[in-house]
Amino acid sequence: MDTNPDPTPPPQMPQLQAAKPASPNPVPPAAQALPPGLPAMEPPLAETLDMRGLFEALLRRPRDLVLWLARPGNGAIGRFGLLALVSFLLFGVVIGCFAKHEQLWAAPAKITIGLVISGLICFPSLYIFSTLAGGKVSVQQLAACFAGALALAGLLLLGFAPAIWIFAESTDSYGFVGTLGIGAWLIALLFGLRFLKTAVFAAGGTGKGPLVIWSFVFALVTLQMTTSLRPILGRDPQHPLTQEKKFFLQHWGDWFGETQKLEATAPAVAKPTS
Amino acid sequence: MFLRPLLQPQATWLDNPHPRRVAGAAIAAVVGLAAYGFSVGYWRSPMMGAYVAIKMPLLVACTLGCNALLNGLLGLLLGSGLGFRQSFLALLMSFAIAGLILGSLAPVLVFITSIAPDATSPGADTAHSTYLVAHTFLIGFAGVVANLHLHRLLAAKATNRNAATVTLLAWLGGNGFLGAQFSWVLRPFFGMPNMKVQFLRDDPMRGNFYESVWSSLTHITGGPVEAGFVLLLIMAAIAIPIVLSLRSYYQPRN
Repeated sequence: MDTNPDPTPPPQMPQLQAAKPASPNPVPPAAQALPPGLPAMEPPLAETLDMRGLFEALLRRPRDLVLWLARPGNGAIGRFGLLALVSFLLFGVVIGCFAKHEQLWAAPAKITIGLVISGLICFPSLYIFSTLAGGKVSVQQLAACFAGALALAGLLLLGFAPAIWIFAESTDSYGFVGTLGIGAWLIALLFGLRFLKTAVFAAGGTGKGPLVIWSFVFALVTLQMTTSLRPILGRDPQHPLTQEKKFFLQHWGDWFGETQKLEATAPAVAKPTS
Repeated sequence: MFLRPLLQPQATWLDNPHPRRVAGAAIAAVVGLAAYGFSVGYWRSPMMGAYVAIKMPLLVACTLGCNALLNGLLGLLLGSGLGFRQSFLALLMSFAIAGLILGSLAPVLVFITSIAPDATSPGADTAHSTYLVAHTFLIGFAGVVANLHLHRLLAAKATNRNAATVTLLAWLGGNGFLGAQFSWVLRPFFGMPNMKVQFLRDDPMRGNFYESVWSSLTHITGGPVEAGFVLLLIMAAIAIPIVLSLRSYYQPRN
């Protein structure tokens, strides 16, 4: 089985840096000559990290962050969780702008609740699959990494939010805005899962297969949430939460079919003018 | 002179994204794009020229402003080695280069416009079409040069050359996707001969660029299936070089 195809160099372990004897040369580290092509060594992360420090480490130094998260009582789960919740809520407001009215609060609530439930029900399998992949990561550390992955995905969703808002305000097409929202989520999820993979591999994981399977399962669960908690994009004041059970592919198929019929009977969209 | 560091950018420029440096790049982009914008709208009428002189920099500002967070995040996550402000400055510099190239051609374009058939003449439609093609070529040329400069900057800062390529592609995709929609919202730019001169079309937020392209494709090809096939071909033509770049990104390097 394929092990680690990641072309980036292996993580710089803080323990190794700490064990390195102090250099007698007083030249500052930045000024010391390094062989060409080698990146400059970065100091280990600080003992305590504030929100900004966590955010920076998540984006710039994910491997170091994973090792930092192994420290007990780091408080990262709560802060990453908060970051993820706020991001999902704001992204939900943008999605709610498409239908407006009660969806301005219902869409963010549903999206956030859906992702929290998805995370909770998928976390046990994440621990099993990451262990199968060879990772020696504690439950608490993995929970912090998972929260970090969700926070990272949430931040990316916030990055996509202005673009989605522009389109939500300019079109009536459910299919278009739905595709855009799902596309943004899948891209954001991809980066979140990449961080999880980094976490497991930094903790000794070698097998990619179990993580790929778990990622597929998690993506499926989140996509199913869009159907189980519908309507999210549209609105139905009589039924704010559907009781009808449907698989998401079936729902999307029905939905696109109806949209096509509506668009075929509706007047043509504005013609382009230079 | 201030323009030289912009047109011959050094990677060290990005090390210190000082507000004065950002302001300088922004001013260069605004002046260049405004001058070019005037030359674009001038053919329809001087008032249209003034409108487009405002809208052209506005288009870039809206695109960069709305995508600032996403561009910064992608820059960090894809290994460009650039932070948020550095990513913003790098992109602004590339727009400034494009603006300066286009702006420098504005006097020539105004001259050509003044001797070309005007918007009320019988040959206006032909002139309009020629104008569209010529400006598309010019914008494409400026875009290619600006992105080559941007890639050079990224390659100097990124962990490896492929990370620079992937970052550039991600930025191009995000900014192109949103920029196309902003160009739709801010239309008209060239001003069709048979339509009135105005800053924005009535109800500018109605419809979107991609629905319009889809609508045009189905109209030209005769149906949604044929349009889908053509769209797939176009997307494949765009995707193949991107996939090749991504493949090389994930291949271990010696």
